[in-house]
Amino acid sequence: MTRASLDLTINGETHQLMVEPHWSLLQVLRGELGMTGTKENCLEAECGVCTVLLDGKAVNSCILLAEQARGRSIVTIEGLGDPEHLHPLQAAFIEHGAVQCGYCIPGMILTAKSFLDERHGRVPNEAEVREALSGTLCRCTGYQKIVDAVIAAARQMNSWPEQARRSS
Amino acid sequence: MSGQQRRVAGKRLKRIDGIGKVTGKHVYASDFALPGMLFGKVLRSSEAHARIVRLDVSKAAALAGVRCVLTAKDIPQIRFGTAIKDRTMLAEGEVRFRGEAIAAVAATSLEVAEAAVRAIEIEYEPLPAVFDPEQALQPGAPLVHAGWSDYQALPVFDRDGNISGRSSMGSGDTAAGFAQSHRIYEHRFTTQHVHPGYTEPRTAIASWDGNGDVSVWSNTQLPFDMKNMLAEVLDLPANKVRVIVPGIGGGFGGKLRVGVEHFAAWLARKSKRPVKVMTTSEEELTDAYPRQPTVVTLKTGVSRDGLLLAREGKVILDCGAFANSGPATAAIALQVLAGPYRSPNLAFEGIAVYTNKGSTGSFRAPAGPMANFAVESQIDLIADDLGIDPLELRLRNVYREGDRGPAGETLTSVSIEECLRKAAAAIGWTQRKPGAGRGKGIACSWWLTTGGSSGVYVKINPDGTVTVVSGAVELGSGAMTGAAQILAEELGVDLTDINATDVDTHVSPYDYGAQGSRTAFSVGNACIAAAKDLRRQIGELVAPLWNVAPDSVRLEGKGVVSGNKRMSLAEVAGLSQRTGGGLISHGTAIQPMPVFDPNRVKNHPLPAWTSHSFHAHAVDLSVDDVTGEVSINRYVVAQDVGFAINPTYIEGQIEGGVAQGIGQALSEEIVYDGGRVLNANLTDYKMPTMMDMPRVECILIEKPSVNGPYGAKGVGEPPCIQPPAAIANAIAVATGIRVQALPITAEKIALARLKDGD
Amino acid sequence: MGFAFHRPENLDAAIAMAREHGEAARFLAGGTDLIIQINRRRLAPQHLISLAGLGLDTIAETESGYAIGAMATHDAVVTHPGFQKQLVALTEASAVIGGRQVRNIATVGGNIVNASPAADLVPVLLTLDATVELRGSAGTRSLPLDRFLVERGRTERRPDEILTAVRFDKPPAHSATAFLKAGRRKAMEISVICVAAHLVSGGKARIAIGAAASRTLRVPHAEASVEKGGPAAFAEAGRLAAEQATPIDDVRASARYRKLLVATLVERALERCAARIEGAGR
Repeated sequence: MTRASLDLTINGETHQLMVEPHWSLLQVLRGELGMTGTKENCLEAECGVCTVLLDGKAVNSCILLAEQARGRSIVTIEGLGDPEHLHPLQAAFIEHGAVQCGYCIPGMILTAKSFLDERHGRVPNEAEVREALSGTLCRCTGYQKIVDAVIAAARQMNSWPEQARRSS
Repeated sequence: MSGQQRRVAGKRLKRIDGIGKVTGKHVYASDFALPGMLFGKVLRSSEAHARIVRLDVSKAAALAGVRCVLTAKDIPQIRFGTAIKDRTMLAEGEVRFRGEAIAAVAATSLEVAEAAVRAIEIEYEPLPAVFDPEQALQPGAPLVHAGWSDYQALPVFDRDGNISGRSSMGSGDTAAGFAQSHRIYEHRFTTQHVHPGYTEPRTAIASWDGNGDVSVWSNTQLPFDMKNMLAEVLDLPANKVRVIVPGIGGGFGGKLRVGVEHFAAWLARKSKRPVKVMTTSEEELTDAYPRQPTVVTLKTGVSRDGLLLAREGKVILDCGAFANSGPATAAIALQVLAGPYRSPNLAFEGIAVYTNKGSTGSFRAPAGPMANFAVESQIDLIADDLGIDPLELRLRNVYREGDRGPAGETLTSVSIEECLRKAAAAIGWTQRKPGAGRGKGIACSWWLTTGGSSGVYVKINPDGTVTVVSGAVELGSGAMTGAAQILAEELGVDLTDINATDVDTHVSPYDYGAQGSRTAFSVGNACIAAAKDLRRQIGELVAPLWNVAPDSVRLEGKGVVSGNKRMSLAEVAGLSQRTGGGLISHGTAIQPMPVFDPNRVKNHPLPAWTSHSFHAHAVDLSVDDVTGEVSINRYVVAQDVGFAINPTYIEGQIEGGVAQGIGQALSEEIVYDGGRVLNANLTDYKMPTMMDMPRVECILIEKPSVNGPYGAKGVGEPPCIQPPAAIANAIAVATGIRVQALPITAEKIALARLKDGD
Repeated sequence: MGFAFHRPENLDAAIAMAREHGEAARFLAGGTDLIIQINRRRLAPQHLISLAGLGLDTIAETESGYAIGAMATHDAVVTHPGFQKQLVALTEASAVIGGRQVRNIATVGGNIVNASPAADLVPVLLTLDATVELRGSAGTRSLPLDRFLVERGRTERRPDEILTAVRFDKPPAHSATAFLKAGRRKAMEISVICVAAHLVSGGKARIAIGAAASRTLRVPHAEASVEKGGPAAFAEAGRLAAEQATPIDDVRASARYRKLLVATLVERALERCAARIEGAGR
């Protein structure tokens, strides 16, 4: 199979790549770009650890062809915050003990971000958080502290939208 | 010894490895890569029991990009295994389960490797197979291992044909006990295969250097055990094998033993390139280390007041085609069956049996949920029949301080009554059936804190930070954060001053492994020992400077103090480094074995439990009156943790363990049709999602252990033990339907209801 | 596993590509099913023709009804303001397809064209008497969704035809829809059974069941009994629907349990419709 050129905009930067058409976005992120913050597991959209944002919405990168991301904006966990300026979601996950092994966490945080962003500041209740994040599995935590962290982050983002915008 | 008197230990502090995990910078084994790395894939058997009559890899080897193809004839056939050395890396001549590895390929890309595996030609001659463990026990059943008697095995295990291990435990006179009984109950329970469900696949990257040494980066829970096992399979002295764990995305006991490390190591050796091998979901659900399915039969005699007068039980454990930890698990089941109840007359037997299905292993609390499901379900059945409240029946029979355990050991720090009462009060036990289709259930258990030794090196750096080098892998439980909190407490510094390194068997001191609820306990104790030695070194260093007695020197507030003299810890460390090589110490820990009566146990590798804990779960659930769908309204856990080193992460263990237990109770099952797994994917292996989980209310009880750091007890495994029984008991109250086979699906409830002529 | 990826600039170009490559080509909508089938080696197309960017993703409201573009995502259906009241079953069904990540890419057209008997949105569309619009080299045509579906994995779509939209009329006042799904857990489920109902007060009843036969089924006997008998007939309708269902035993559930679910969920879906009609009337 011949490779075709594909420009992908990831975390605000454009990468000029040569990809085979059947490569998934996940393969390109991890294999071609070495961006291993996005994780791999089931490879069939059942577990959510591969979640990235595509034009701001959470998607499973394992079954999305890299080609399908052409001309769209991709955000991975690497583009969210950094150790000195954590996004409120990242800070809340640590604060509330929502991180154990951490393997689902990048996908979980991005799923949560997509959900909170589309609510434009309205703080969700527990049932709403559980429904929105149910596409990402966690085997360590039983989910409870993740739910608490998301609601806490929503409250923080609601009161300090400026800070949230800076670190997103 | 409560958390209030301590500065660091006992506090809800942030875990030390959190920032890397929330920013995607934490490197897991599956993220690790080396330049020039090849990708390995495995050809797996499509037959459950067969002779391989033709195996032709020539087309595979000829594919562009393939650098190495291995079959059994290319490597020494070395048998390995935990209890019994019954398994080879690649099947030689005979396959024993559908999914067993037959050949391995390394290629320049995963795609080429997969194509190469498909290009291998193979023909089988089927052999008689056995899939049911009870059938495997029948005389004349096909033998899974015809050559079983030639295998090396740990002498403690009693083996015979398809029996990979048989253990027993007993005391008193059960015949006399039954004769005295007011009533005798006999019940049978079955449980299923469940997978540990970690979200990171098993992964290994192996690379050989010019000296013939191999380094393996792996997400194993037991790097030292892995090192020894690899040395065996590679036919090398152990010092030529180095295992490094960059990071691990969950283990739960499913990453104890070799997964893909041996494939990676052999492929790398033959191809002379680094090789990475990673499992797929399908491989995880066909050749991994899930919980063994069991058949548990219990015969229990009781007095009119519900006292347990005589108890007989048998656990038949289906360990699949390779024994692994099956024999040990069948033995541990016996303690789970026994406790936490006083049982004067007791006779239990555990039998691990080979079948032609996938191998199995030590998923969190091995034997726990299976045996507990049986015991705790039967207690409720007995209570119902006698007209005694199930909580009351338990309270009449539970251990008290100083009682003898099932192996005659003296039980100390017994808290089961408090656990039961608190869980029951929290769930509102007086109203067991709050409404139609709704019910509450309770279940209790005990568990051990696994022994085994731990060592740590601790150095205090000239900037005042502290580095701890341990051989224990941080699985995610927060155990290493807990151990670091203990160390910080001992040295008078903050948690944020502690750095823990990754595990590297060339560098780290030995640790028995991140298993058995032992990590924070054992590493914590080792840290206490190391800190004690550091205090001695510091005392001896500053005493002559200050002209004080060395034992008057204390560590507090990041400083070294005696009377009105003070130096910062950083200064002292710097002084030591300049004048004497630095403040470095090592600490070790191991639990003493309790005294027990060896006549009470036969062929049992773990006869007496160390630093046992007690716990009770209570659940309030509702069942749809037609579909049988279960919705959990509330879930309460009362767990005796001895000392809560970090309550946040202890709650995390409880919440996560209950989730796994709920999965086993209601929805998870690796479904076998004969030898074939029908649901080897995450679409149909149903782990709980966020919408399936209730909030779990944690009541942490602190009854200090004798041997644990600050009185702590192991906390990680117990939470997954009781959910199946508690839920089964609540469903029985809600619907009148008793299901004795896990998982308790909506279908089972609905169809049982039809049968009952509802 | 390799294929060429095509990005046609308009529908005619897409159709022409399909004609050119024939059986070796597949249209790509969201890909949430197609890519998985390719990865599992069940399908091996040599050409993928992307339907993105062809203007098929809008949800249009006319005076009499709606036209959901085939490339509209399930997320777009869940959040569409016009689907929150009488047409709420559309959101109830779309909201339980996979997880959010899947719903952000997976499309209405894909859900229909896949023709899985367990498709969640299809039963709702059947109860709305939906029609599908197809465009191919022979032109544009419409046919009722009920005729479009043949059996598992098979529809009346010709290889070079693109399903462009699904249309249905706005339901009358004093009507309601409902959708119910059963699975082994509460999210991320392929339906063990799903049921859609559409009730017009004093008028027609439409019931469709999924995962109960080799294709999504309308159940006319059950519908007739409701049209004749009103609320007292809901349980009877469930029973009749279960009789017509021909579910299979598989790893998810037994046929016997599926029949039980059909009977119950049909009754409950109808009850929910009746309650919604009553609630809206106040």
